[in-house]
Amino acid sequence: MNDHISIAPGVNLTVLPAEQYCKSRITLDFLYPASRATATADALLALVMERGYAACPDMTQLSKKLAGLYGATLSVDTAVNGEMRVLRVTVTGLQDAFALQGEALGQACTDIALGTAFTPVMENGEISPEFVAIEKQQLRQQLEGERNDKRAYCLRQARRRFFGNARAGIEAYGYLEEVDGLCAKDVTQAFFTMLRTAQIDVYLQGIDGQMVAQKLRCALQGIQRTPCALAPACAMPAVPHKHFFEHTAVAQGKLCLLFTSGAPFCAQKLSAMRVAVAILGGTTTSRLFVNVREKQSLCYYCAASFSAMTGMLCIDSGVEHTNAARAMQAILHEWQALRTGEITEEELASAKRFLRTQLIAVNDSQGGAEAWWRAARLRGDDKTPAQVLNEVMAVTQADVHDALAPLTLSVSYLLAEEDMPHDE
Amino acid sequence: MTNEHSSAAQRAAFETAVLSNGMRVLVRPMPGFSGIHAVCGTAFGSVDLAFEANGRRVQVPAGTAHFLEHKMFESEEGDAFALYAKTGASANAFTSFDKTCYLFTCTDHFEENLAILLGLVSKPYFTAETIAKEQGIIGQEIKMYEDSPEWRLVFGVYGGLYGAHPVREDIAGTVDSIAQLTPQLLYACTDAFYSPGQMVLAVAGNVTLAQVVAAAEKTPFAKQTPQVHRLLPQEPAAVAVADSSIRMDVAKPLLGVGFKVAPPCEGAARLRAEMAAEVLVELVCGSMTPLYRTLYDENLAGPDFSGEVLSVPGAFSILFGGETEDPVRVHKLLMEEIDRLARDGVEEELFRLCKNQMYGELLAGLENVEDAATGLLSAWLRGRTPAEELEALAALTRQDVEHALHTMLTRQNSAVFTIYPRETQEADV
Repeated sequence: MNDHISIAPGVNLTVLPAEQYCKSRITLDFLYPASRATATADALLALVMERGYAACPDMTQLSKKLAGLYGATLSVDTAVNGEMRVLRVTVTGLQDAFALQGEALGQACTDIALGTAFTPVMENGEISPEFVAIEKQQLRQQLEGERNDKRAYCLRQARRRFFGNARAGIEAYGYLEEVDGLCAKDVTQAFFTMLRTAQIDVYLQGIDGQMVAQKLRCALQGIQRTPCALAPACAMPAVPHKHFFEHTAVAQGKLCLLFTSGAPFCAQKLSAMRVAVAILGGTTTSRLFVNVREKQSLCYYCAASFSAMTGMLCIDSGVEHTNAARAMQAILHEWQALRTGEITEEELASAKRFLRTQLIAVNDSQGGAEAWWRAARLRGDDKTPAQVLNEVMAVTQADVHDALAPLTLSVSYLLAEEDMPHDE
Repeated sequence: MTNEHSSAAQRAAFETAVLSNGMRVLVRPMPGFSGIHAVCGTAFGSVDLAFEANGRRVQVPAGTAHFLEHKMFESEEGDAFALYAKTGASANAFTSFDKTCYLFTCTDHFEENLAILLGLVSKPYFTAETIAKEQGIIGQEIKMYEDSPEWRLVFGVYGGLYGAHPVREDIAGTVDSIAQLTPQLLYACTDAFYSPGQMVLAVAGNVTLAQVVAAAEKTPFAKQTPQVHRLLPQEPAAVAVADSSIRMDVAKPLLGVGFKVAPPCEGAARLRAEMAAEVLVELVCGSMTPLYRTLYDENLAGPDFSGEVLSVPGAFSILFGGETEDPVRVHKLLMEEIDRLARDGVEEELFRLCKNQMYGELLAGLENVEDAATGLLSAWLRGRTPAEELEALAALTRQDVEHALHTMLTRQNSAVFTIYPRETQEADV
């Protein structure tokens, strides 16, 4: 059972069970509306925060501090989920019982997490210009290097065409052309906007909740906050399919297909969608894996995933250059067949069994448990894995057809040496 | 680190038994977890390109162990994934330089899942037709890795360090090498390496040793254990190619610097050498070091610039690498830092912190059922236990690491490999 402690308006603390672990974990999620205007500053903020905080402003000393806590880790990451930006500060360490001489490791990890989250290194009222200058170069490197991972790059390029200028398409790591123009003032503004407007969710595992609650209340003292409500799920409108091609000298082509639900996806249909995605391309017995990869040898991987917050279904695949057109045809054939055709009882049962295993094991990893509650929070539900499992087990063929019915293909993106014939 | 290690040793504890067919079983019960992860592995990996089984010499092409891994999922009745689909388990397999492992994760039907796992490793089934089909799929996998700069960097460095040792070959082989495979060759490999006496079953999670043994004994898997000898080529002490480069579609260059080390003896000596090398890597370019800080603050490399240790039969090396705008300068700084450490010695405080950090990392490897079972199996196949790994770390001294520094990181045994973007001119390295 989770314990919830309400700290202040828009600040919630959740203590997740952790008896089975020797590691502890504290995460602070800042959830606030994604903004195109500040996207690059928001991305830079995460890097600057990870570098050090007021009580430990030197990154090398911070690394030593973490190592001294038996290899504790600190990460600050940022993502855009639906129309919300999520900045996440996580510290993992050992639970107190594993300390060498009874050190209060949970407290030390909490201090690092809260210090990182609330007290960045400031100079004359602004976040350290030195930090900003160095981390700008790191952000630039990160953005320039995005095409090194061809699978992820193809997906990003497809998403850019899919979302256009919509808020849900704001780049989590910002925009390369804006990096040079950023200054400490921009990052400082991004920090204070986040502090003022974000819903703050804290997740604890293996650390005393009351101790953290007290420290958190202290950290929040003096901060004027007007937390924004979480944005609901969104969706891109249905549009005629557009195909994009990018010439790249790669050994294996990458093909990505993005479908939209047209209107915000109905949360009640999510369990049916989980089953649908499992049957389509979520397992090694899925239709895409068996029919497109195994039977037709048209690709090495071919997987489906769905984002409830954006109503976007993604199918991505690694294909032989000359097979791209046939692979796309085969994928669309499987897609259409699942949308309207027969689903055998065994297929349904098999997908449910797969999901059952996943759902029962949600609490078998600290990161997994936390991710579950974060996703639920963003969707605005508080269903436990067990409740979702009950829904999944009740899904019928008609439910799967119903969940898939509104989805239409918007964008296909091919990264290869040559494009597929246009009449395909 | 005594108290710390007694708690840690408890975490690393496991139970073991030998089945009536000779298979070793390792079990780490993990109360409070819902899932069970089982891994069945054999010490047959990508470096095993030649061996002698019962006096008969067998030579196989690069990529054979990995190819076999794919094919073992197929039987006359169909493929094992379809059987797992009936239980709801997630299944997979992987091949590394020195082992091949088959695995599943489940939350129930453990007995049925174990029967599927042991069934698939005990009943090889190969035909020319199914091999031909798999050659197409694995050919695609090989191409996928060809596009990965990090993967190419690792094998570029190993190719520079080793002239003969098969660690220089991609684990999946090449399209041409796997085209040479026949059912006879694959059967020769399963005859040699897939008998119960050579396989280890490691299980972690919501299960007991008695349950695992009882379930495993139900699957018929009896086979004589052959006399097998690995045949590794003679590898010269010197590096094969000291400096090489390629071009590919990357945004900026990648630098890899490898150090070839004489392979330590098996057993405790190897474990000590691995621990010393792992700490050494952290002392040279880990996040607490002056080199890391320089690379980071001067925008010469990102946090991904790091080191790793390779320790497989007949080969031992240390590799540093990552993306950098200026490979020449980073190479120079790396070598200077190694020289500085050799000259000034290792700082006691930094050494202690590096050990602490590694301790945390080792413990983190016991935190979920997947890592726990895989770690148990990997350690056992190398002749050790996770607790012995923790003890070896605790026993490591600064002097051990300084000795490793002087013997392992020598300029004459290093090789550099650089990946340049297609558009730019190659620099002189």
